[in-house]
Amino acid sequence: MVLVPHLIALALYALAAALALAPFAGLRSAPRALRLGVPLLGIAAHVIGIARVTSFLGVAPTLSMLALFLVALQAASEGLFGASAVGVFTGPLATGLLGLALLIGLAPEGPPPSGRGAWSILHITVSVLGLAMLALAFIAAALYLLQFRELKAKRFGAVFRLFPPLERLDQLNHLSLVLGFPTVTLGVLLGFGVRYAGGASVDAAQVVWGMLTWVVLGWAVGVRVVRHWAGRRAAFASIASFTAVLLVYVALKLAAPGTQRFL
Amino acid sequence: MSITVLGVNHRTAPLDVRERFAHERREVPTSLERVLAAGARGGVLLSTCNRTEFYLAEADVAVPEAVWAILSERLGGGRSASEYGYTRRDRDAVRHLYRVSAGLDAMILGESQIQGQVRDAWETSKGQAGPVLHRLFQSALLVGARVRSETGLATGAASAPSAAVAVAARIFTRLAGRSALILGAGDMAELAATCLASEGVRVTLVANRTYERARAIAEQMGARALTLDEAWEHFADADIVLSSTAAPHAVVTWDHVAPAVARRGGRPLCILDLGMPRDVEPAVAQLENVFLYDIDDLQAVAAQAAAERRRDIPAAERIVSEEVERFWAWYGGLVVVPVLKEFRERLDQVRATELERALRRLAHLSPEDRGEIEHFSQTLLNKFLHQPTLALKEAAQAGRGYGLLEALKRLFGLERRDDP
Repeated sequence: MVLVPHLIALALYALAAALALAPFAGLRSAPRALRLGVPLLGIAAHVIGIARVTSFLGVAPTLSMLALFLVALQAASEGLFGASAVGVFTGPLATGLLGLALLIGLAPEGPPPSGRGAWSILHITVSVLGLAMLALAFIAAALYLLQFRELKAKRFGAVFRLFPPLERLDQLNHLSLVLGFPTVTLGVLLGFGVRYAGGASVDAAQVVWGMLTWVVLGWAVGVRVVRHWAGRRAAFASIASFTAVLLVYVALKLAAPGTQRFL
Repeated sequence: MSITVLGVNHRTAPLDVRERFAHERREVPTSLERVLAAGARGGVLLSTCNRTEFYLAEADVAVPEAVWAILSERLGGGRSASEYGYTRRDRDAVRHLYRVSAGLDAMILGESQIQGQVRDAWETSKGQAGPVLHRLFQSALLVGARVRSETGLATGAASAPSAAVAVAARIFTRLAGRSALILGAGDMAELAATCLASEGVRVTLVANRTYERARAIAEQMGARALTLDEAWEHFADADIVLSSTAAPHAVVTWDHVAPAVARRGGRPLCILDLGMPRDVEPAVAQLENVFLYDIDDLQAVAAQAAAERRRDIPAAERIVSEEVERFWAWYGGLVVVPVLKEFRERLDQVRATELERALRRLAHLSPEDRGEIEHFSQTLLNKFLHQPTLALKEAAQAGRGYGLLEALKRLFGLERRDDP
């Protein structure tokens, strides 16, 4: 049974999103145990659901997995960085992605192209994990810029009170970007390996645009690690690189529409 | 039995008067000794910069006079301390202490320092407090903790120095280990520096127009002294700059600090300008990663926190009321137990005497019949005592036991003290 655990996860993610948004609506913050516990329960239900999915091909399973990793990273951000505000973005995003996956349908739409199922699953898992990390870097950068603007403008409202300190957001951005980039790189390499070993051809547009995106991501990591960019400049670089990833994905999907393949 | 509080606080007495009433820790036992000698069975003295209060158990009528006399002596000039004072009794006294401990009666609503001061007062007076006040202060600390954990009364920074800490804490992940540069020797900067130091910030440099003055303050804080002109270079290293000079114009200008800030490599710099007029040129805030706040900004943060705390007053008052009832139920029960015990003993004594007399007249009865009569007398007494005992306990728990208790003592000639 795939649907029931996914529906339970969807409900718990929606609740986690509501808990994250509540303080911004003037309501009292939920206890930390609840803010952590609800998404963790959702993750548990989601893992059970994903474990029962027989094929990871197609947009829906990928979106479901992306939602799972986003919530896992949200819980990690809350647990390790005390950055509960991350949930303001990841909560609704994960809920939306999982909802969309359920609408598209998680049932397999075709058999795997080759017998290399385990490698294929590894490629998808690693790639989606990398993508989720880059999304987290983007979110941390966005939170950074919002808090930066509030602090500079001397506005002491909800953002000032509820967002994490600037430095912590910068650290979260740094860590997500530095871990996300090699993870995505590994995922892409595994993907090429699986395709070539399986004898499947890779679309030239995918290769060219994929390389360009990789270079942009590499630049964002490079300026952070090599040139020691921090703060606002690094946040802009991070946002630019993730936006590039999204734009390229949208462009490629427009060129080859359909839900049978993620890319 | 009764609980009384007599004292003065920031609402009833100005600072110069409160300063005279304040007791050092070593003075507390002596003052309490005098009050206890005047006829109280227990006492705790709570003395802070905002209040001096004597909490007393079973205070005789002469005790208030003794308290005001002690305080009047400190006031001097033939003035009476009672002009500045207040008295609360029984439930009101309990409620008062609970409100104090919760921060509801504090100058800065919800401030948490008072919790430690209540604990200190209790510990200092432990030998003289007696069991009732011991229990009262123990419960007051629990009430304070409960209010702070269940309401938002202690959240946010409700004073300008604590707002300085709150603002810095929105910039830096951890304040512990950060370095601070102090410009000038204003009181506010010193206060804010103390607040920051309590969070682990290291004051490493103190700069002043006069080097000697800078050195005096630097020595107090374990920092290095500089002149103002030497300070600009250190805008490249410091994490926090606290400024409070007496200069009539801005001393921290763009030209002075921009070159140093450019060498920070994007690290944030928090500048807290507590000077009046302002010490830092507003243009400095335009520098990348420089966050500049003046006293108005900090007061805005404090006012916002105070407004948010005020929203939680009803919830905090509800907790206080609940806990007052709980304490009073315990206290009421404590009061009736010895009287009821004596009441029962007295009637049992009457029963035994009359039974013995009757049995002497009824010598022809068999042992079984004698036992039956004794059992009857015991049952009758229990039935007779049941309703008054119940009524008295209920009245005591509802806080209406005192009158009934007095009536009982008067009607049955009970002389024993009703102490626990």
